[in-house]
Amino acid sequence: MSNNRAFATNSSRKDRIKEWVARPGGSGIIVGITMFAMIVLAGIIHPFVSKYGPDEFAGDSLQPPSFAHPMGLDQLGRDVMTRVFAAVPSDLGIAFLGVSIPLITGTIIGIMLGIAQNKYFVTLVSSLIDGINAFPLLIVAIAMVAFLGPGLFNVVIILSLLSWARYARIARTRAVVVLQQNYIEAAKLMGYSKKRIVTKHVTPNVSSETLAYALSDFILVIIIVSGLSFLGFAARPPAAEWGAMIADGRTFIGQAWWLTIFPGVAICWSAISLSFIVEGLSRRDRGN
Amino acid sequence: MVISFSLIRLTPGDPASARLGAGAEIEAVEQLRAQLGLNVDPFRQFITYVSGLFQGDMGVSLVNDVDVFDTIQRTLPLTLTYILLSVFFAFILSVPIGTFIGWTNKASIVYVFKSITSIIIATPNFFIAMIGILIFSVQRSWAPVFGYVSEFPTNLKYLWLPVAINTLILVSIISRVLHTSVVDTRNEEFVETGIIRGVSRPRFFWFYILKPSMAPTVVLISYMMGTMLGATVILETIFSLPGIGRELVNAVMSSDYPMVQGILMFFGVITVFISFIGDLIAYRLDRRVKL
Repeated sequence: MSNNRAFATNSSRKDRIKEWVARPGGSGIIVGITMFAMIVLAGIIHPFVSKYGPDEFAGDSLQPPSFAHPMGLDQLGRDVMTRVFAAVPSDLGIAFLGVSIPLITGTIIGIMLGIAQNKYFVTLVSSLIDGINAFPLLIVAIAMVAFLGPGLFNVVIILSLLSWARYARIARTRAVVVLQQNYIEAAKLMGYSKKRIVTKHVTPNVSSETLAYALSDFILVIIIVSGLSFLGFAARPPAAEWGAMIADGRTFIGQAWWLTIFPGVAICWSAISLSFIVEGLSRRDRGN
Repeated sequence: MVISFSLIRLTPGDPASARLGAGAEIEAVEQLRAQLGLNVDPFRQFITYVSGLFQGDMGVSLVNDVDVFDTIQRTLPLTLTYILLSVFFAFILSVPIGTFIGWTNKASIVYVFKSITSIIIATPNFFIAMIGILIFSVQRSWAPVFGYVSEFPTNLKYLWLPVAINTLILVSIISRVLHTSVVDTRNEEFVETGIIRGVSRPRFFWFYILKPSMAPTVVLISYMMGTMLGATVILETIFSLPGIGRELVNAVMSSDYPMVQGILMFFGVITVFISFIGDLIAYRLDRRVKL
């Protein structure tokens, strides 16, 4: 495989893409990205395409799926398909914020811990990290809802306050390893400033690790956001949100299965597409 | 303990005003703060709380004046029963599955196995529960939709579906890890030695394959307990089982602040304790594991 790569640089773009896909895990990554792009795209274009708003009355209530309403209508006569796609920003968007904010803060704190000399600072922050990590994430998140009040924005705050600890732990371990590498020694010998070493040499090597973790964390956060909504702690029922829609549909599960199934499939779809990407990337990393 | 206290305390927002709602009058909020002991400085609050803890006092519920410790005692057995039942079944099921697939390691079987398990893992547990209810309660009526009766023979009727769902999720996680570690173990030299020495089949599988592969699995299960407690909260709410998880949700719903804090701390202690036990068992199984 590695022999081909030398030739591939001279070949056409199409061949290079083919070669990229042929490497381990390539097909999984492609399938995952396509599936994820589909649901994001559906979330972006649905306001321009669908005939009804997410809160708009579209027909008699609890209509089963038909040609006009592919996912049926809910108990208030709202189009379920429109609502499923309208929930994309509040689900994936919130999950994205809930991953990227702790990713950034956690990586920075982890690197700081890795290079810090002050023993008290390191002990204090590390025990804080261990303390936060000792609690199950969902449980603490639920408990914190009691004090912040429910709401999607509060979920982002909660996730930012909790998730950084996991990133910081990974970043710290990685930073300690990176700092012992020869290229850091070389950079020091070349007389680069400490600032330059940290930003140009340490950070890229640490963040590749935390980024990889962020991708698998994304799945967890999607499930946590929808789980909190399901319990009524994130988005409240009138809002279009997958977890809240499932909670809504729970009342009508005997008569209208489509209220529950379609939002659930949307969660699964996004989570599975991401796990395809994660699995593909890790197979590529291992090389089989 | 410090963390659980400060996590709650450092959270922006005020339990008193959260409880009374946005439109509450300032005097009412102040009164409630005084009642909760929130009007003194955080350090003194912490001292009061900790000294209470050592006397077995976790505070009293704000809603119905029930002792927090009593509530935990009352609701814990059910949660424990159903977590232990699902861990037990998951173990029984996933050990043969993981070992078999890991031992044969045929590409097509592994592919199907990995796809199915990753779909189950990526599915939120409440959605699996809803599908379970749809199939077994609505269409077949083999299980009640929700509710609980705590007498022995009848409670199985209410418990089997939540336990089955929990087991399904656990099986897919545990057997995946077991599969990976069996594949790793297979490549070790002592396995080859076992084959060459002609060790009998059951003995070979138990001592040469399963025992060394079990250590990472046990560690994983013990670390999974935290996630599982989270899952319990959701499943108990769906099936209306009066366990500790539902108590937490109810406490959050009614901003019952001592109750939330007590249950949170209890969960934290249990999680740390179980992961410690898991490490001990792993050490018993495989002495190469560092404690």
